[in-house]
Amino acid sequence: MSLSTKEYFVRETFKSIKRNQLMSLASVSTVALSLLVLGIFMVMVFNTNHVAKFLETQVQISVYMSDSASSETLKATEKTLKALPGVTSVKNITKDEALERFKDRLGSQSNLLDFMGDENPFPYSFEVHVDKPERISELAPKIDDLNGVETAKFGQEVVENIFRLTKIMRLGGILLVLLLAMATLFIIVNTIRITVFARRREVTIMKYVGATDWFIRWPFLLEGMFLGFTGALVATLVINQVYGAILNSVHATLAFFPLLPTWPLLLYIDLTLIVIGTAIGAAGSSISLRKFLKV
Amino acid sequence: MLLMSGVSKTYRNGSVALKNIDLHIKPGEFVFIVGPSGAGKSTFIKMLFKEVLPTTGKIYVDGVDVLALTDKEVPFLRRQLGIIFQDYRLLPDRTVYDNVAFAMQVIESPAVKTRRRVMTVLELVGLKNRANAYPAELSGGEQQRIAIARAIVNDPIMVIADEPTGNLDPETSKDIMRIFTGINESGTTIVMATHDKEIVDAMGKRVIAIENGVIVRDDAKGVYGYESEH
Repeated sequence: MSLSTKEYFVRETFKSIKRNQLMSLASVSTVALSLLVLGIFMVMVFNTNHVAKFLETQVQISVYMSDSASSETLKATEKTLKALPGVTSVKNITKDEALERFKDRLGSQSNLLDFMGDENPFPYSFEVHVDKPERISELAPKIDDLNGVETAKFGQEVVENIFRLTKIMRLGGILLVLLLAMATLFIIVNTIRITVFARRREVTIMKYVGATDWFIRWPFLLEGMFLGFTGALVATLVINQVYGAILNSVHATLAFFPLLPTWPLLLYIDLTLIVIGTAIGAAGSSISLRKFLKV
Repeated sequence: MLLMSGVSKTYRNGSVALKNIDLHIKPGEFVFIVGPSGAGKSTFIKMLFKEVLPTTGKIYVDGVDVLALTDKEVPFLRRQLGIIFQDYRLLPDRTVYDNVAFAMQVIESPAVKTRRRVMTVLELVGLKNRANAYPAELSGGEQQRIAIARAIVNDPIMVIADEPTGNLDPETSKDIMRIFTGINESGTTIVMATHDKEIVDAMGKRVIAIENGVIVRDDAKGVYGYESEH
């Protein structure tokens, strides 16, 4: 492709955008809005996943031993637990440690425990951490059956709820992305169709004088891509600003809440939106041109 | 130059436009296609640049089997043809120069060559001094001359004209025909569908008459042979 041809394409693209200023503005706004919703949803999905993963790592099996278990049994149980597949660490919590923890949790009200005197009702226990949270439900019953074990507990409901939520978010995310992509595509198709319709005479003449379909297509394709790209750019600018502000306020008030930092999250989202916006712009142009190229 | 063999065309609605056309046009010929409205002249013309496909038969342009061309190859056939319509089909927002240069731009001709060639053809059709005017500022005859300039700017082997004088008065039509004669004399084949009795009779060229989709007459130095519609 010669330089003068490239110049021609760029000139035609911007001439057309200028000619249809209002429609171009409408397209950019709609693309920006659709991609903004998409981007916000992506931020939510990424952060939910992040929170879910964080919570998953917090899940452990608490193995409470019976008071009658001898120190040999405790040692044997610890050994057995460590040998189980997927177990990453086993922490011993003695009866005294358990009591101390409880006292710590009660804080200034720990004197409530004074009535117990020297008696310690807390059992000896192990905290078992595993490599994958999915293993927990499979390991817990096995541990429960071990000799000397009173009960093996874990936050089953919490784990299951987290999994369910992340699954729904992922599935909902894909659906939403598809729907928004379709809506954006529809808008771009219509904008370009108006542009092509306004220039159908030109397209027909081009066909008669022997222009290839690609020669005719390029300026329209560039126009669609430019509209999609600009819309995506607006959406990313808004998302970057808003997410930065949210992060700052969350850090100031709920410092422990595990939100993802801007880097590299926003880079992924920005790139995704720009690629989607530009691709949808190109696809929209191609679709609306098909009919007019049949001369 | 042009060979048609057993060409027929039936449209989807069942109307038969052409029936079993056999035809040979030699390089450098000037041929009029005449006949009443609806006789099949437009279908015939559109088949030459593959806008309309025949239902049966074969068409060869300069030895190339037109029907065997893929969609991607059709533009390259059209680059060898100059096509002219009754309604000029100019771009109103472009100058005379740009309307003609457009045909060279779309085939990606270098800018310097385009400039030189466009000015040459504008001189040929007598519009060199109006290069910067817009079509709306020009008369019908001048507009048709822009269309002719655009059709010949890429140096076609054949010029195909569908009623080129249909919107023009007799004097202007004669001017236009002088330009066509000049183009033909330089060796370019011309196929022209027309209703213009005066012109056909005055030119004394080959005349092919089509009626109801059939060639009823093919005379080397023919006449229009119908009552004038103008």
